[in-house]
Amino acid sequence: MSATLEIRGLCKSFGGIVVADSIDLDLVAGRVLGLIGPNGAGKTSLFNLVCGVVKPDAGLVMLDGQSFEGLPTYQRARMGLARTWQNLRLFPSLTVIDNLMLGPRAYSADRLVDVLFRPAQIRAHEAEARDRALDILERTGLSPIARSRVQDISFGQQKLVGVARALMNDARCLLLDEPMAGVEGQTYALIQKAVRDIAASGVAICVVEHNVAFIRDLCDEGVFMFAGKVLARGSVEQLIADPHLTELYFGT
Amino acid sequence: MDYVYTILILIGLFVILASSFDLVIGHCGLISIAHPIFYAIGAYVSAMLSKQSGMPVPLSILCGGVGALLASALVAVPALRVSGDYLLIASIGFQLGLIELAKHFHEIGGAGGLTNIPSFLIKDFGRETYVVLVLALAVVTVLFIRWLTQGPYGRMMTAMRDDELAFSMLGRNAIWIKVAVFAIGSGIAGIAGGLYAHYFRFLEPDQFGLLQSSAVLTMVVVGGMRTTMGPVIGAIVLQLMPQIITFFNLPPSILGPLQGLLFTGLVLFFMFVRPQGLLAAADLWVGHKPQGDAGHSGKEACS
Ligand SMILES: Nc1ncnc2c1ncn2[C@@H]1O[C@H](COP(=O)(O)OP(=O)(O)OP(=O)(O)O)[C@@H](O)[C@H]1O
Ligand SMILES: [Mg+2]
Repeated sequence: MSATLEIRGLCKSFGGIVVADSIDLDLVAGRVLGLIGPNGAGKTSLFNLVCGVVKPDAGLVMLDGQSFEGLPTYQRARMGLARTWQNLRLFPSLTVIDNLMLGPRAYSADRLVDVLFRPAQIRAHEAEARDRALDILERTGLSPIARSRVQDISFGQQKLVGVARALMNDARCLLLDEPMAGVEGQTYALIQKAVRDIAASGVAICVVEHNVAFIRDLCDEGVFMFAGKVLARGSVEQLIADPHLTELYFGT
Repeated sequence: MDYVYTILILIGLFVILASSFDLVIGHCGLISIAHPIFYAIGAYVSAMLSKQSGMPVPLSILCGGVGALLASALVAVPALRVSGDYLLIASIGFQLGLIELAKHFHEIGGAGGLTNIPSFLIKDFGRETYVVLVLALAVVTVLFIRWLTQGPYGRMMTAMRDDELAFSMLGRNAIWIKVAVFAIGSGIAGIAGGLYAHYFRFLEPDQFGLLQSSAVLTMVVVGGMRTTMGPVIGAIVLQLMPQIITFFNLPPSILGPLQGLLFTGLVLFFMFVRPQGLLAAADLWVGHKPQGDAGHSGKEACS
């Protein structure tokens, strides 16, 4: 079985800091991979490299066999890559549902020529986007706050909106950066269920998380990262049990 | 009466300029103050086409608009590919450079100005017809921008202003949105330029410099960015104020500096006392009200 997302020999350093040291990694459709590592290990940087937010020094990333090389972020997203952000990055001037409605991959309202000269197509896309957003809000339990502004909802709900917005893309590969940080209670269960459902629909998922319980419950497999290197790959139990990795994780 | 017509025409033209500038700087968040140069391009292109090749004026005005639109893309595409901030420098350079060039280009009148531009409508239908035309186009412009910014494209621009990186990650091309908005805003300014040229029938490069830039910026800031009526009110107030001062019959040696002081004072006053302008934009984008669930505030829903 070939991987959905293939990362090959990815290298990046900022000045003296190495954040990616020839990383090789495969994300497989339908499976959730947990990315574990201490602060500053390069987890978020790896996501940034995959998304084209940061340019690699060497190496390449492929989605369904197509190389991302030289492509800007928005084109990678249109090919089926979606992500959430460690620091949320929602649109505060928009309501929850409007945050979501920007997300479908094929949605031509960002082309002025289409907006001016193809109103019927825009109306159709707009209706599709709204239906899709309503459906995702329903599935993630966000329907009651669809018309709230994002500053007015709880932090956990904001995290969930971030996940819901990424789902609009109907992506082949989804990267989640600490979806559980600061989240508790009912929202915790909702996010967990959402991620499981997405994986079950055949999406390749990678989750960065410090919450070990969450990783253990959710992930099919784990990867341990330290100083830009992938040190180990295996079941989450194995990684947690490894005394060497635990020492690296908590520092000396 | 001609005096009143002239003021109405200027108000109409500046409503078009200020509204289209608000689309660029307010709604799209593009920092550029070179708007008047596209007004100038529209004016000169239309004037030259009708004067030299006898093109019918409505067509030449349209060509002026297209000319301004293309010229703006010429500036915006390379600048925005570098970065959003680069547009400010590139567009001011373009503005001042083109004005200098026009001064040394005698075919279009040089520094002395372009005279004898063909008039339009006035001879056959009177000045009031021209006034109606300009004011009608001002209304159309304001309504068009309102329609655009409250529809799906307005949602796009709002999200892009909030967080461009997150916006790109959703598969949206921010650069082309910026280029497109810059172009359409400049194209509208170009049409206004053509309307100016065929009424006043005289153009001079220095009219379209930084003084004009600051006037249009003041209109938008004082009126209120990202509001439908803000730029309209700003344009009216700032057009009328100098006219009112002239009624006091002050000697020109006082009048000139006084107007300058008044503009500066107004900007300073608004910057400190009411930075959002006369009309404040809502900090939540809602767009056209969707039928059925309008007015439903989420606040109660999540408590
Ligand atoms: N754009 C950048 N410029 C310079 N240094 C950077 C940049 N981005 C990240 N770094 C550095 O790279 C290192 C790895 O950061 P990264 O955010 O990838 O870590 P992380 O594994 O996500 O950590 P955390 O668990 O705290 O989120 C850090 O030392 C960080 O300061
Ligand atoms: Mg991180």
